[in-house]
Amino acid sequence: MRRSAILLVSVVLASAVLFVLLRLLPGDPANALVSVGADATQIEAARRQVGSDLPLFQQFLRFLTDIAKLDFGVSFVSGASVLREIGDRLVVTLPLTLSAFISSIIVAVPVGILAAVRQRTWYGAGISVISQLGIAVPAFWIGILLVTLFAVNLQLVPSGGFPTDGWSAPIDSIEALILPVATITLVMSASLIRYVRSATEEVMSSDYIRTARALGATLTGALVRHGIRNGAVPVISILCIELASTLLGAVVIERVFALPGLGSMLLLGIEQRDYPNVQGVLVVSTMLVLIAGFAADVIQRLVDPRLRGRVSGGAS
Amino acid sequence: MLRSFSIPTSLACCIKLGIVGFFASTTAFAPSLHAADFDANASINIGSLYEPQNLDNTAGAGQGINEAFNGNVYEALFRLSDSGAVEPVLAKDYKVSEDGLAYIFTLQPGVKFHSGEPLTAKDVKHSIERVTGPDSKSSRKNSLKGIASIETPDDATVVIKLSARSISLPYNLSYVWIVNDSGKDLKSAENGTGPYKLGDWRRGSSLSLARFEGYWGTKPTNSGVTFRYFTDATALNNALLTGSVDIITSVQSPDSLKQFQTNKSFTVAEGQSTTKLLLAYNDRVAPFDNVKVRKALARAIDKKKLLNAVWGDRGLVIGSFVPPTDPWYVDLTKVDDYNVESAKALLAEAGLKDGFTFTIDTPNYDPHPLVAQFLQTEYAKIGVKVNINIITANEWYSKVYKAHDFQATLQEHVNHRDIVFYSNPDFYWGYNNSKAIDLVKSSEASMTTDEQTGRLKEANTQIAEDAASNWLYLYPQIVVSKASVTGYPVNGLNSQFFTSAIQKGGK
Amino acid sequence: MSLTPADTPQPTAISVRRKIPLSLIVGGLIVGLHLLAGILTILWTPYEPTAMVGGRLAEPSIAHWAGTDRLGRDLFTQILIGARIALEVGSGAVLVGAGIGITLGTLAAFATRTLDDVFAAAFDILIAFPTLLVAMLIVTASQTASLFTAVLAIGIAGSAIIARLTRILVKRVLSMDYIVAARVAGSSWPSIVFVHVLPNIWPTLIVNLALQFGLAAMAESSLSYLGLGAPPPNASWGRLLQEAQGTVYTAPFGAIAPGLALVTLVIGMNLLADGLRAFADPTRRRSR
Repeated sequence: MRRSAILLVSVVLASAVLFVLLRLLPGDPANALVSVGADATQIEAARRQVGSDLPLFQQFLRFLTDIAKLDFGVSFVSGASVLREIGDRLVVTLPLTLSAFISSIIVAVPVGILAAVRQRTWYGAGISVISQLGIAVPAFWIGILLVTLFAVNLQLVPSGGFPTDGWSAPIDSIEALILPVATITLVMSASLIRYVRSATEEVMSSDYIRTARALGATLTGALVRHGIRNGAVPVISILCIELASTLLGAVVIERVFALPGLGSMLLLGIEQRDYPNVQGVLVVSTMLVLIAGFAADVIQRLVDPRLRGRVSGGAS
Repeated sequence: MLRSFSIPTSLACCIKLGIVGFFASTTAFAPSLHAADFDANASINIGSLYEPQNLDNTAGAGQGINEAFNGNVYEALFRLSDSGAVEPVLAKDYKVSEDGLAYIFTLQPGVKFHSGEPLTAKDVKHSIERVTGPDSKSSRKNSLKGIASIETPDDATVVIKLSARSISLPYNLSYVWIVNDSGKDLKSAENGTGPYKLGDWRRGSSLSLARFEGYWGTKPTNSGVTFRYFTDATALNNALLTGSVDIITSVQSPDSLKQFQTNKSFTVAEGQSTTKLLLAYNDRVAPFDNVKVRKALARAIDKKKLLNAVWGDRGLVIGSFVPPTDPWYVDLTKVDDYNVESAKALLAEAGLKDGFTFTIDTPNYDPHPLVAQFLQTEYAKIGVKVNINIITANEWYSKVYKAHDFQATLQEHVNHRDIVFYSNPDFYWGYNNSKAIDLVKSSEASMTTDEQTGRLKEANTQIAEDAASNWLYLYPQIVVSKASVTGYPVNGLNSQFFTSAIQKGGK
Repeated sequence: MSLTPADTPQPTAISVRRKIPLSLIVGGLIVGLHLLAGILTILWTPYEPTAMVGGRLAEPSIAHWAGTDRLGRDLFTQILIGARIALEVGSGAVLVGAGIGITLGTLAAFATRTLDDVFAAAFDILIAFPTLLVAMLIVTASQTASLFTAVLAIGIAGSAIIARLTRILVKRVLSMDYIVAARVAGSSWPSIVFVHVLPNIWPTLIVNLALQFGLAAMAESSLSYLGLGAPPPNASWGRLLQEAQGTVYTAPFGAIAPGLALVTLVIGMNLLADGLRAFADPTRRRSR
């Protein structure tokens, strides 16, 4: 597909830009390997080890050939395989993101439609106020509040962390994700509600709904029969973006709940100038973004037949 | 309990020291439960903020690896006990030649690596050379550079020849992990002789150790430990409150302690750390090359008030770089005691009556930014204007440590016995006083520990008189545990955390 | 994240008497209050902002309405100054974001199809990357963290959203008959942009920029939570929240007061945006 091809080219360009940008950061990946007390020769040894003593051009060549071979290499700092670590962290990040995403949709779609249809009632207004709050309150606040309430005081779920052995005891792993998922759901559904409500309002004021109602259909009936298809298209593209940005953007949540996710791997990688890790995470997450975008496209076409003929549907 | 090991005190004869199994031996451990009261198969969850970066202390693993691995996974010929004594471990005993230039170590028999191979003299030689070799990133490399050669006459004997006398050799060897010489990549695997072997390491989250059944010494009183790593101190506290960890190795804020102190299900233990917070000037550049300016800046700070702001009523005000757990500690807090008037007078004498402006490169993590603001306010009172420049740890190494491109910086120094840094004029703070340098250097050639201690006390005093840096305070070392968990080390010397004697009460 | 649902640019009605929406009034009041507090701090603050006037973590009292921090500084003073900083960050970031976003979006809309697609794809990728991460990279890249770099970073990170919206809006205007006519008649591009396009899209843009304003203030607090925001002694709310992190259980007031300030400003800005939208678009008067 044309759009995917363009995205792919953009990804390659973006990673080149990223390469340069990362190297422009003050600091040196070798610094993560030395400690106070190391002398100049030891620092040089560290630079040799990570290759930061090479000229930028040579480093870039190395980077390109590695990427072409899909070789993500090993971390400068831990010496561990980048791909393996990404895998380790994806088993936390993917379930976290996907379940938060799905539960947000489950909450936001009915509530958003309700808010639009019943906007002049007290609970319509109530939904507006709550969603306003959800957008304005920082995520870590909500996280801390939930931990205090459900983990520290009621002791229902763990306050943070993830089992060392991953998913070998699924109940423990699920328990570890309950509060983080709830936190992201609260934040994400607050903004989703607003989009769903807007989309519904847009649909409600459209000619075909007016026509349908004039022809005697109930509002609900008209919305179900005609509205969802039309309203869904812009909402789906918003959803795609929300999903993508949560993959890495959950870093604050990961910190509050001590979860070993992709976002904190990236944050630590940037802090330590661990370029292989940073590049690995960004390439993988960009691919996930591409997949999400593609899926959104497909779903949009399924929902709205008018889009099927279009070659390149910008997500507008 | 064993008496602590003392370093040879005379050259007149070769001293032979017989050592018995010492492992159950530490004096400063928290009180133990009665032997029958604990569950030998309990697994202990330890909460920490210091995840190692990799598993090899010669490859830049960071302070977290000392906490997880020293004495637990790897052992050395000697070790620094929780009370600060140097005790032999894999060295059964040793002799020193009359001129002090040759050390002959006899190895503990029957020691096995986790791979099953027996410990031999060759492993010891390999291990020491790993630290002194060209690829070593160990911060202790320099302290071992007096080693001229290492010989292995037989499997149980190691002879270290020195180019100059080094009274701290046994101490310095306590940093050298004895690893198997099979050449495994030790950054993500291990092969040591300690009571635990590595289980799983989930980066960003946890590292587990399992009891090593073939261990030569006293068996651990638990079946294994898991270090759980946190980046957020509040999250760590919650983990203890909700029972997902049993111990926090080092609490970083006094405020969270209230919730544990008032609750009988927890024990709060305060020990001594070796972590010092200092405002290090670049002594090479004006006006910090002027001792009067440095003294003025030292006297302008109400350190008690600062310590109280950061640590409540815990921690210790220090007057020099040497903490009380180093043998050459002297109370030097009176040298440049808080005195704003005298600070102003000193500045005037230095020709800076109207003050001056300087920038503090401040690491971006707590408590540095808070402390920098305190200094800013305090220095304003003597007409000195401070700019705060926030930098990351990584940038700090490039800018401050390597390039010496700074005026002053805040930094915490965690190591034990690190006064030697003041004898290196090329060190980042650039302190250069020939008397202090001579004293530190010659102390190493001392014949007795008394002589060594005497010289280092003198050096310490000299450095304090020169106000080489502004030593702000010594961190407290606070360990909090469930009340049912005992036997853990309470002092944070070198960030070590021996887990072998930890006991968890019955079910 | 904020992408406003596709807004149809409406030709501004000429002299319809409009009812001022409630949300505009409430939002205006809240933001106005913050604005007043911010301006006030230029002239006067209850205490000297850096003076250590109280005890360590003193609870709120008559003398210190919001309590004191670990250094014994008055938190209410800091929060007032925080209002000024939030307004600076918000308006600065919106200026930067609008400058870059509107320019790029307009360019994309005018560009050839392939170039336009590349632009669109670039905007999509940028939007998909969390604002926070883009900002983080920029802050780290600039040698020193300062209020200015934080503003720049948040502005740049937010510009993709504005660019994307601008592109869509401009394309819609360009497809209208009178623009096609103007182009046929030989009007120059600049004149089309400034005479026809921008006046037509600004109502929708303004609404979005108001939303961006609130988001910028939020982004600053998240950056500060990660230690990358405005450095001390800037009393940004984000930094106050971060400093109160360690004491959130023992001295929660340190986190509550600056948090409330932040939340009210963001809500105020959102209400203002809703009100503006309803006001600018009288055909859909429902409050959003």
